[in-house]
Amino acid sequence: MAMNDFGKKLFHDAREAKETMPAIISSRIRLARNLADAKFVKYACRGDLRAVANMCEKALSSCKILDGNSVLNVCDLQEYERTALVERHMCSQEFIVDTNESRLLFTPDHTVSIMINEEDHLRIQIFRYDLNFRAMFDRINAIDDHLADNLSIAFDEHYGFLTSCPTNVGTGMRASVMMHLPALVITKQINNLILAVQKLGFVVRGLFGEGSEAKGNFFQISNQQTLGLSEVDILSRLTQIIKSIVDYELNAREIVKKEKIVWLYDNIGRALGILRGCYSIASSDAINGISLLMLAADLGYLRGNLRWDLNQIMMKIQSSHIQVLENKALGSAERDIKRAEILRNFFAKIPDLKFE
Amino acid sequence: MEKCQFCGKPATVHMTQIVNNKTTVVRMCSECAAKHGLFDKDGLPFAMLSSLGEALFAGLKHSQSASGLICSRCGCTPASFRETGRLGCPNCYKDLKLLVDGIVESSQKGAVHKGKKLKSHAFVDGGDWNTLSGGKGDDGRRKKMSSAERLDALQEQLDDAIREERYEEAAKLRDEIRKLKG
Repeated sequence: MAMNDFGKKLFHDAREAKETMPAIISSRIRLARNLADAKFVKYACRGDLRAVANMCEKALSSCKILDGNSVLNVCDLQEYERTALVERHMCSQEFIVDTNESRLLFTPDHTVSIMINEEDHLRIQIFRYDLNFRAMFDRINAIDDHLADNLSIAFDEHYGFLTSCPTNVGTGMRASVMMHLPALVITKQINNLILAVQKLGFVVRGLFGEGSEAKGNFFQISNQQTLGLSEVDILSRLTQIIKSIVDYELNAREIVKKEKIVWLYDNIGRALGILRGCYSIASSDAINGISLLMLAADLGYLRGNLRWDLNQIMMKIQSSHIQVLENKALGSAERDIKRAEILRNFFAKIPDLKFE
Repeated sequence: MEKCQFCGKPATVHMTQIVNNKTTVVRMCSECAAKHGLFDKDGLPFAMLSSLGEALFAGLKHSQSASGLICSRCGCTPASFRETGRLGCPNCYKDLKLLVDGIVESSQKGAVHKGKKLKSHAFVDGGDWNTLSGGKGDDGRRKKMSSAERLDALQEQLDDAIREERYEEAAKLRDEIRKLKG
């Protein structure tokens, strides 16, 4: 079956900055905002929520930065279409569970997505495939200014932006970076690093939160505190932390090359073999394999600049994405077969590895 | 002691989930909890959830002295906060201040907002923009400006806005320039 309109929109991903940086997959900033004169979502009735959603949608429709946007009523979507949005990090898991009057607005290039009626009335998110919080903040701040001009936003001089949970109050801002840290995992330094990052008031979690090491060495780092620090403060601290983690990871890669070179070649070579030859593969096996090939691309063992394509294929082989691609719900066995087919086709075109 | 539903070890994590008024209680040991990747609403991992729990618990201590409080606008009380983990409306920050301050004190960096202000649209320059670009170090400069520099910057923004037909923004910039020129 051909993809429907939803699928076409979802797979039309032209998020800017196709340049990749070693060890960095993507970064996001999210702002939580509420209307001053309405109950927070958890306490509101359906009528309230509809009124809030309509007001927000109207205010957003005149925002130039959001030109050409699409708005989805989450309750109109299939289950797998909703989870595909989570897989693409365009909305949160909670957002797709309780879908009363929940709407998702996103720009054609997917860089900006706005959840209406998540836990806060508005959650504005901006996304990039590299690290540049300055540019991201300028853009999201302009959207926020537009909202403040067109809506009465809940704000207090003392507490800052008021959110339904006091753990988000103040800036209402959460910034996060998805990192790819295989060498820190291989050299067993990752746990110390996680502890150190936590001590600095930042949070580390896995790709979608599942157990860390098993899921392709992907880690997401974000700020915990939102009150008592300015946005610039939070973003510059996080940037500094991310830069030093990148340095640690690159050092660890040198150590792996010196001390575990056979292990490295063996595992990368096997991963490529599996991805080229599989006829049924689970998502976690696929992600682990792609993770090793991303490492190979960063280390120059794969000819051509393939990191970007690897980012994209990793997105595409997630369970709900496969179902959107096929435009129907599939059981896990069927998904594993389809996933293998996508991977075989992609990796058949990849040139052989060239080790040093 | 309750046992973990998955492996039978003593349960240290008790999770009550209420979905559509159906209550489910799950008991498990911390290892199984981590393995099952439990999250709160933001998708935070369990380690984080427990620190959030501590924060909320600290809030509860205050809520004992805060008991009897009720939000005059939405009717939210410390008890309903305990149940949902969420406040009811913006006015709760005023009427349930004692409760809020307890939570803020234990979970946040400071008690007072230092970021962007709503009215002026200006955010406090508390950090260094120079560290903000992703490693290229070329485009991150936003230092405190003199008024002449500020005027130049505004004029530039105004030109951009007009060129890109963002007239609402242009009008605002024009007014701001007029104000600066006195």
